[in-house]
Amino acid sequence: MKFLNTVTKGGALIALLLLFSNFALAQRTVKGKVSDAESGEGLIGATVSVVGTTRGASTDIDGNFSVEVPDGATQLRFAYTGYAEQVVALSASNTVDVALKPGTMLDEVVVIGYGSVRKTDATGAVGSITEKNFNKGVIVAPEQLLQGRVAGVQITNSNGEPGGGINVRIRGTSSVRSGNNPLFVVDGVPLAGGDTGSGGSDAGFGSSAARNPLNFLNPADIASIDVLKDASATAIYGSRGANGVVIITTKKGGTGKGSLSYDYSLGISTISKKYDLLDAPAYLTAWSALNPGSPTTGIDGKSNTDWQDQIFRTALTNSHNISYGGSSNGGDYRFSFGYQNQEGIVRESGLTKYTARFNGNKKFINDKLTIGTQITVANNRDDNAPISNNSGFQGDLLGAALKANPTDSVYGNNGKLKQININEPNPVAMLELSKDFTKTLRALGNLSAEYSITKNLSFKTVIGFDQSLSSRKAAYSRDLVVNSINGKGRLFLNDVETDNRLWENYFTYTKSFNRANLSAVLGYSYQNFEYVTRNFEMTNFKTSDLDIMLNNFASSDQGKGTSVIGRNSSNTFDELQSYFGRVNLGIADKYLFTATLRADGSTRFGGDNKYGYFPAAAFKWRLIDEGFVPDVFSDLGLRIGYGVTGNQEIPYNLYQQRQRYNDWDINDDGTQINGGGIGDVTFNNPGLKWESTTQLGLGIDFGFMDGRVTGSLDLYKKNTSDLLILVTSAQPAPQPFFFTNLDADVQNSGVELSLNLVAVDKGNFRWNVLLNGAYNKNEVKRYGGLLNTGAINGQGLSGAFAQRIAEGQPLFAFFVRDFAGFDNEGISIYNDGDFQQFIGSPLPTVTAGLTNQFTIGNFDASIFLNSQFGNKIYNNTANAYFTAGALGGGRNVTTDVPGNGESRLNAPEVSTRFLEDGAFVRIQDVTLGYRVKLKSTSVSSLRFFITGQNLAVFTNYSGQDPEVNINKAIEGVPSAGIDYTPYPRARTILLGASVSF
Amino acid sequence: MNYKTLKFSMFALLGFFAISACTNLEPEIRDSQLREGEGGVFVPGDPGEALISSYKDLGAFTDQANIYSLYDHTSDEMIPPTRGTDWGDNGVWRTLHQHTWDPTHSFVVSSWNQLNQRVYRCNQVLASNPNAQQKAEAKFLRAFFMFHVMDLFGQVPYREVTEGVDVNPRVFTRAEAFDFITRDLEEALPDLPGGGPIATNSKATKAAANAMLARLYLNKAVYKASNAAGPYTFDAADMNKVITYSDAVAADGYSLATNYFDNFSSSANNEVIFTSAEGSPQNRWFMTLHYDQNPSGWNGFTTLADFYDKFEAGDQRKGIAATPNGAAFSGLGRGFLLGLQLKDNGDPVKNSRDAFKPLVFTREVKIAGQSSEKGIRVIKYHPSNAGQYIFLRYADVYLMKAEAIMRGGTAPVTALSLVNDLRALRGATALAALNDATMLDERGRELYWEGYRRVDQVRFGTWDDVWSEKSVTESFRVLFPVPQQALDSNPNLVQNDGYK
Repeated sequence: MKFLNTVTKGGALIALLLLFSNFALAQRTVKGKVSDAESGEGLIGATVSVVGTTRGASTDIDGNFSVEVPDGATQLRFAYTGYAEQVVALSASNTVDVALKPGTMLDEVVVIGYGSVRKTDATGAVGSITEKNFNKGVIVAPEQLLQGRVAGVQITNSNGEPGGGINVRIRGTSSVRSGNNPLFVVDGVPLAGGDTGSGGSDAGFGSSAARNPLNFLNPADIASIDVLKDASATAIYGSRGANGVVIITTKKGGTGKGSLSYDYSLGISTISKKYDLLDAPAYLTAWSALNPGSPTTGIDGKSNTDWQDQIFRTALTNSHNISYGGSSNGGDYRFSFGYQNQEGIVRESGLTKYTARFNGNKKFINDKLTIGTQITVANNRDDNAPISNNSGFQGDLLGAALKANPTDSVYGNNGKLKQININEPNPVAMLELSKDFTKTLRALGNLSAEYSITKNLSFKTVIGFDQSLSSRKAAYSRDLVVNSINGKGRLFLNDVETDNRLWENYFTYTKSFNRANLSAVLGYSYQNFEYVTRNFEMTNFKTSDLDIMLNNFASSDQGKGTSVIGRNSSNTFDELQSYFGRVNLGIADKYLFTATLRADGSTRFGGDNKYGYFPAAAFKWRLIDEGFVPDVFSDLGLRIGYGVTGNQEIPYNLYQQRQRYNDWDINDDGTQINGGGIGDVTFNNPGLKWESTTQLGLGIDFGFMDGRVTGSLDLYKKNTSDLLILVTSAQPAPQPFFFTNLDADVQNSGVELSLNLVAVDKGNFRWNVLLNGAYNKNEVKRYGGLLNTGAINGQGLSGAFAQRIAEGQPLFAFFVRDFAGFDNEGISIYNDGDFQQFIGSPLPTVTAGLTNQFTIGNFDASIFLNSQFGNKIYNNTANAYFTAGALGGGRNVTTDVPGNGESRLNAPEVSTRFLEDGAFVRIQDVTLGYRVKLKSTSVSSLRFFITGQNLAVFTNYSGQDPEVNINKAIEGVPSAGIDYTPYPRARTILLGASVSF
Repeated sequence: MNYKTLKFSMFALLGFFAISACTNLEPEIRDSQLREGEGGVFVPGDPGEALISSYKDLGAFTDQANIYSLYDHTSDEMIPPTRGTDWGDNGVWRTLHQHTWDPTHSFVVSSWNQLNQRVYRCNQVLASNPNAQQKAEAKFLRAFFMFHVMDLFGQVPYREVTEGVDVNPRVFTRAEAFDFITRDLEEALPDLPGGGPIATNSKATKAAANAMLARLYLNKAVYKASNAAGPYTFDAADMNKVITYSDAVAADGYSLATNYFDNFSSSANNEVIFTSAEGSPQNRWFMTLHYDQNPSGWNGFTTLADFYDKFEAGDQRKGIAATPNGAAFSGLGRGFLLGLQLKDNGDPVKNSRDAFKPLVFTREVKIAGQSSEKGIRVIKYHPSNAGQYIFLRYADVYLMKAEAIMRGGTAPVTALSLVNDLRALRGATALAALNDATMLDERGRELYWEGYRRVDQVRFGTWDDVWSEKSVTESFRVLFPVPQQALDSNPNLVQNDGYK
């Protein structure tokens, strides 16, 4: 036992591990080139592995490789994404050249968390996508790369803002309250779910969401994205796996002499659809029709202004990416630097992003120890336009532009901005008299050490960090005629800091027996998450100058005593401690078993519920290797998997009674400050525990005609129970709501199909078709209560809502009046009377994507279509702005409002009048590229391309874009499928070139 | 793998788990204070801080929605018309005026939550080792909040600070709640500070407790009635208590103000007993003024022509015309705003919602489909000089005394003389006689839009009458329904009659 005593310290452990390093066996170096069988071009980054060992290498920019081969090894395996794998017998020669044929995806490697497997050996439902099939165009965040490309993965931009929020739903929406986004893992580091920047403070026209926290990654650095969809695959991430896991792998350096590449692109963006508003003459005519006998003198400003043109612009995006990498003596490295300057199509808005990334790996101690490092540092500047999710009747920038009187001019006779009153803000003034930007510095990195203890057993330790500093500053000049700003000015300073740490250790054991292959992972993970906020507000400025307000804020009249407040600060710290294990067993290459268990302990839960246990099991039968499968099949496999995963995305410590000093705020007049009392944040809630999802999946993987047709078909049933949700406290209570595990189920069941087809492969012409489609049905079961959500904003719509969660309905089912037209007086009539009922769902039942890729000689082209069907959208924009009442009161409307039979005295209550079909087919991107044939040896490749992004949308939806999801949560219950003056979508033409040396 | 390797690996594994369990997952609390100890006991905080927060909680009453709306929008002195695209708000306002609310009405739900939560927070003060005066103030505030729960809903849930989410609060009947509230106030009285009227009387005083006790005993017949809808039998002993408590308020230096509208300004110095330092009265002008007036309002609520007609000419409470002189808000009168409205410079206000015609407020107003100029507006707090938001005012206490005498209490003066003294001060002619109808009208004239009309109408039995744009006469509506969400959350609650 004296051994045991010495192993109690980490350092000793590592030292002992080193003791067991085997002596190097005799070996030789084999070199060669891997090329494309058709073009003869070298393949960069192809994998070369020595069969039966863990040795391997990858090819450099020219396709060359060099690998150490131990004595006794007999075969080399060559693999490259999108190409057929080849196994080559080793001879006495030290040179092996291989030509790989494209056309089969069978030998893709998929990353499954704490390891990777060949796709054909994957027992779970995993969608993989590599750089070749990434979406094209102006891409800010990694999710956009796979939007529409993977069956069952629905990715929705909340709006068209550069770097705006993105919702990812894998196999439907399963949570009622807690987070519905999947877990993102970047090079092995699981990211925290929260925002890294501050949302917009309400300066009088609503509040807005923070931008996408994943903007810090440079899409050009990403090599592949793997989406773990079912529980048998995600269970290895336990408590964070219920909504799926998205694993992002970044590019590594190639082998050999090294390479340098540079990409440039210029994007030109314009708004994809403006609203068809009345022009000045039509407006006056329509107004008069609603106000018979009234002269137009009061409302006629004698101009003709297209207010949308005043706030939108043709926007340019410049991107530069430079990277270099290479390898030597068992090490590789890659360094990249990216710059992207994206102007938004709304004036003053945009995104400027600098990213630097280093990725390096190096082997030591006879190649037994591998040290790897990945570091990303990103500096983002977001320029924000005054656009919010929940503006009231005055409207935000877009609302103001829609309703602004078209006969008014932007500037008055005195040359100054014409601002009528606080209820009808001038949108140009909102832009010119405000400045709102966020700067975020984020660093993500990890250092890993992997040591081969024996031929079969290795140990890996990973230390990771993810830290961000974000500061949002928003100044509104006192010259802006908006309630709470006019005459006073207002300044908001909001900081967010995140600081997350990871330490993971795991063993990997692989062993080939007679007819069986075993691989097992056993590990421990610790992660902590610190989240810090600070918010300040100032008013009563002595200056109108935005820069002085921002940079010399003593210009706020602080002597008044009601001009400055520190609104509040916060600091929360959460920990997650986990043990996990996985066993993969393959028998005769035909029967593949996987069993997974993760135990997660979290500070989000108290008492006996700190730990949750998440098991999963899966089985795959590779029928193709049985004798009875007809020759027409090149692949056939059956998969079945079952597992339990969890969700812990609720705020910090909600189980112990705690108090905090409440936020302060300054009233609209700047004459009074309120708040600061001690208030309750939680009360005793010892029973709180994980939300859990059980999932049963069945899948078939198939291939025909030598792999020219491959695909998979999946069936699944997901049941989410113990739903984490805010419910009404039994009063008296410190808070009106508390989190509980609701005894109810949310069920998602569906079918997914992925199909890859080599339609033509003849001479130098090649045509690939990639199709994915998914059907999902969502239903709430065993739920006795009801929850209202989907807040509808606008004039006369305070307290209005459009969605209700209830038994037997899909989540977020629309709950509205059934509009039946107008009566003779022009007042709304409703079928079944003036009350709300369930009508329609915001969740699409069918999503589909279709890609066609063509290669003709040196030309390549691709066209990608994205679609969804079966959902409704609530058009809050029309409800708030496009009514006879709005027009009668002097506000502009769309051209379909005049003559619609509505009285100007009608109250436009929430009804099916504003509920529309959300189905669409979008031509998401079309790319044409040309690879220049080079005689030069110094330049290894040169390609020019042109991409059209969001070229057309086919839909019956009357709003700007059917792909929209504005956050209209009520009391923390999220909403879905509601459109309210979102930042509009752009149509972009992108021109670019890539060159490698 | 040979034996030695295997043995090593096992040891390595053991060592690895031995070093790796590095956290016990106990929460690290950095930005808040724990109020819960082992076994769920309450960990007291600073009672002074907690008490300050309970006072700040009073700000909820200054809102135009929620608690205030249940007391005034439901009554015969206010109407919230839907005006085209404005104030539809999913029908929340219309159903209040028309007495068609149901247990899911959002203001019913939020009033229940706001009031009960405030009661709980007073319990936290009391559990935090307060000194004698802090304890008395917390009891006063608890009584104040709980009074509204009892009055609106007819039953009162109660939870100790040590009871977590897994405990279903017990429920007091209305009669039990009445006893609990009066006991709190009576126990608080000795330790509350004395003190006379000031415009910023935002702390509990003996006068405030006496005024609340007068209100409780005046309405005791209502709160103790076997049927919430009546009939109510007023006991002479209770009326004598009303008189005693009213006299105790007067003894602390309170009297009627000579200039009625001074009460709602920062220079109030006779009547103001209890106010809120949190929030301000600004919602009271925003909620009624037209968009194009100064200050620009939300063009919401108005009074009814029938209510306006209860005032005689010369009664200063009916209003004081504006004297536009260019100063900010000088275009705005006080009291009822009817007819042509003026800007601060004396020019007519132009109605931007109606072709910029001069803005003329009308007598007539209906509940829906109204254009922007319909209805008589009300200004008690004037934007040029508004004091704090008032909960208790001496004129209310004074009229309670008069009513107690009318209902059989014993005093050296008659109810009629008290009422006529008040009327004389306000510039109104003397009443010849006093009865239920004239007494209720007088309270309306004195206290309109101050947030308690509902209590008076229930006590006088006119709650189920018909008035303009209100035809429902269901007497069970003297109580609001227990919100559906509250019933779902606490099985000890039983829905009030009529709403089942």
